[in-house]
Amino acid sequence: MRALRRLAVACLALTATAALAAAPTLAESLLAKLAKAPPVSTPFIQVSYRGMLDRPLVVSGTLRWLGGDRMQRDIDKPFKETAQLGDGELSVQRGSGEVHRMPLARAPQAGAMLAGFRALLGGDLAALENDFALSAQGSQAHWVITLVPRTDQLKRQLASIVIDGRTEAPRCLTMTDANGDTSITLVGAMAKQGLQSVAPLESALAARCRNQ
Amino acid sequence: MRVAIWFVWLVLVAALGWGVARQLKISSDLRDFVPPARTADQKLLLDEIGKGPGSRLLLLAISGAPDAQLADLSRGLDAALAHDPAFTHVANGSHDLAQIASALLPYRYLLSPTLDTHRFDAAYLRAQLQQRVEDLSSPAASLLEPWLRRDPTLETLKLAQLWAPPHQPKLVDGVWFSHRGEALLVAETKAAGFDPGVQARAIESLQGHFAALPGARHAKLVISGPGWFGVQASRHTRAEAERFSTIATIGFVIMLLLAYRSAVPVLVTALPLLSGAVVGFALLALIFGHAHGITVAFGFTLLGVAQEYPLRVFSHRRVGVDTAQCVRELWPLLATAIVSVCIAYLAFFASGVAGLQQLAVFTIGGLITAGVCTRWLLPLVVPPAQHDMAKTPGLARAWHFLARLPRPRWMPWLVAVVGVCVVVFAPGKFWQNDLSALTPIPKAELQRDARLRAALGAPDVRYLLVLRAPSAQGVLALSGRVAPAMRALVARHALDGFELPSRYLPSIATQKARQARLPDAATLESALHQAMQGLPFRAGVFAPFVADVEAARKLAPLTPARFEATPLGARLESMLVQQGDGWVGLGTLSGVNDPAAFAVLAKDTHGTVHLLDLKASTESLIIAYRHRILVALGIAALLLCVAVTLALRSPRRALHVLGPMALATLLVLVVLRAAGIPLSLFHLVSLTLAAGLGLHYALFFERRTGDELEDLRTLHATLVCVASALLVFGVLALSSVPVLRAIGLTVALGVAFHFSLSVLMAPAGHLRREA
Repeated sequence: MRALRRLAVACLALTATAALAAAPTLAESLLAKLAKAPPVSTPFIQVSYRGMLDRPLVVSGTLRWLGGDRMQRDIDKPFKETAQLGDGELSVQRGSGEVHRMPLARAPQAGAMLAGFRALLGGDLAALENDFALSAQGSQAHWVITLVPRTDQLKRQLASIVIDGRTEAPRCLTMTDANGDTSITLVGAMAKQGLQSVAPLESALAARCRNQ
Repeated sequence: MRVAIWFVWLVLVAALGWGVARQLKISSDLRDFVPPARTADQKLLLDEIGKGPGSRLLLLAISGAPDAQLADLSRGLDAALAHDPAFTHVANGSHDLAQIASALLPYRYLLSPTLDTHRFDAAYLRAQLQQRVEDLSSPAASLLEPWLRRDPTLETLKLAQLWAPPHQPKLVDGVWFSHRGEALLVAETKAAGFDPGVQARAIESLQGHFAALPGARHAKLVISGPGWFGVQASRHTRAEAERFSTIATIGFVIMLLLAYRSAVPVLVTALPLLSGAVVGFALLALIFGHAHGITVAFGFTLLGVAQEYPLRVFSHRRVGVDTAQCVRELWPLLATAIVSVCIAYLAFFASGVAGLQQLAVFTIGGLITAGVCTRWLLPLVVPPAQHDMAKTPGLARAWHFLARLPRPRWMPWLVAVVGVCVVVFAPGKFWQNDLSALTPIPKAELQRDARLRAALGAPDVRYLLVLRAPSAQGVLALSGRVAPAMRALVARHALDGFELPSRYLPSIATQKARQARLPDAATLESALHQAMQGLPFRAGVFAPFVADVEAARKLAPLTPARFEATPLGARLESMLVQQGDGWVGLGTLSGVNDPAAFAVLAKDTHGTVHLLDLKASTESLIIAYRHRILVALGIAALLLCVAVTLALRSPRRALHVLGPMALATLLVLVVLRAAGIPLSLFHLVSLTLAAGLGLHYALFFERRTGDELEDLRTLHATLVCVASALLVFGVLALSSVPVLRAIGLTVALGVAFHFSLSVLMAPAGHLRREA
């Protein structure tokens, strides 16, 4: 099924003009290489920079893609939380407390995150292109994919998602909210390396994502 | 000339009918039709019937397409209904209650229960802020962040959760879905649930919105709820009644052609009855201005007697004798029948129930008009007779057969004794008090309603929690006090969920108590400063929170009137109603498993809070209503006996007329009881119609003519009348609609028994002359 869909995307790309086709082709080939069969899991470290806070928030744990549109994010530090995304719903349970549920439609950012990771891990370009305009820069060895929301509903919450990666592995996922707040999520090898400071500067962390 | 008079008559009936149809309002207000309420619950039931929360809810399920498409349809229908004035509220799970709650943002500290158990001190604020830090790392952070500066304790969210339905279905694509994969919605109509006319328009509008949605052609919309059932029932009943009356009319026409070998009766026989009905309606319009739908249905049924008047005339006409002369000869007997029945119906007029008074006016006016038309108008429009009905082939043989039947004198007495025993001792309940047994709604639809109701956590239609207090504030305070007891009942599984008025609006006293616990600005600033130590929040970030708390300290508490102007106002409005000098709160309940458990609640609150069983209250009203009808019918029977005795000027002759009527009525009861059919009001009205027809049979068979041909004409007339009644009502007895079946079966049985007994119990020497 996925092979068919990829073929369809390739055919569409061929019929488009060369200039327009260039960027999606890079993005597509990158995402195709990244694709893995579910379930896939990776450690992560999320560093959030928020306007109302005077220092970044750092949480770490494991991200799991369970296949389809189902994802799970387990935070181990500094507290325990399990967030599940799927079937158009987000459910969050902190510690052993009550499970809070809400429709993804009401938490578009969570939906965007799901779409981003799903694209990264599943290589599902078609699903991604419904909601985002895709562009890719760099080379196969060292690349950056940028997702910009297409729908007004998403645009109200989210400015962009930027994914940095090397060859076949993504490294960082930077989400910028409409109000300018950002969160940088390190995955894979980058997450295993850990942070070099308790409260890294946003610019320093961004540079690390791009340069190392 | 005859044709001209006939045509003018027809036009007059049509014109008057048209005029009356424009003037007369047919109401479906049950209050017109049942006796005045005696208990407070009955009064509440009548005031609130169909208006209360729950009964106006329509449950909707969309199926037959992929989930994403169903979700789109659900959102589309939701948006369309939100702008439809026929609906006051619609929900499909997609609404962000936090947005609704934000309309009441300044009042959040007065409405949320947080301050009942906590104070905004350093310890509480610290615990809250600690949680907010964690929230900011969650995938839903962007959802909360805009609120946090004003509302770090998330009161808005607490209110949204408080106001959300207690048992929400699961969300797929942001809208409610059942476990069977249907998208679910609830819509509250503006119209009362038991007002089929207005409900039908609302439902049509709803179906129109759905059909206009893209992709709706491939999906299926299922509607359920009291309003839908009402519309379905009346639609189904009307369709069935129309189908059966078409069949019956065709049969009737064929029968008239065969019986009279002329087209004339077909063209004129309906005119007296129609004239009677039109005059009856005109009287209703003049005297009452409106009529209840049930009056119209019952009235038409009772007026069916008038169909016999022209048939009698046609059977008794003789070749070479003026029709007017024949009518004059018949008139004393017809007049006796009409006047006796009208006197009997006066009892209905004295019943004191508006619906029965309307019934009496309609029936008496209609019967007299039909009689007068038969006496003075009919002879003007019919051509002279071509045949003498006495010479109908086979009629004389039928006469001799009937005359030779054995007639033991002890027979009626034995039949009466056995009949009374069967009626009294047959097992099974005597009366049908359960209105739902009369509904033509298929079982599958009722089961689906229960399933959707459970899936949506929609309130039970049968039970309401009634809270009584002298003032609206008293009701809200009472509601706040019983909430813990109700939660305990839920924990014990006596019910699944409940919704009290105080859930939306606490009493002013509660609001003031919460207000008093809000700290002043300086105290709050210092507590906040202490709470923020070591947390990553920027200094001064919660200044809007401090300002809001300060503003809330000075707010005038929210009153019901002001709350009702908000988006949630409609919900409170239907739960808080004024009745007489007091106020009543209506709490909705879902999944009531143990109604008896509420007795303790009623005892603890000294009866100010109790469970209202709408079904039991309706049944008590029906019983009271039936009681009135029975009394009226009893008096009517007595009046009839007196009238017939006076008219015949002989108790012995009266006995020969009234005896067969009484015994035939008893025999119908015997059959119904033996078949285990509980009696409803429709059976009673049908028995009355059958008795009216039976009166004719008995009166005519009792008549001394001394003329064999005239006796044969009487037999002809009676046979035509019996056959037509059996045809019309026998067909109705085959209906799948319980009400139509009840009427059809009872009248058909009644006609058969009345005819047989008036033949068998005719006075000695009349029918037996030939034997």
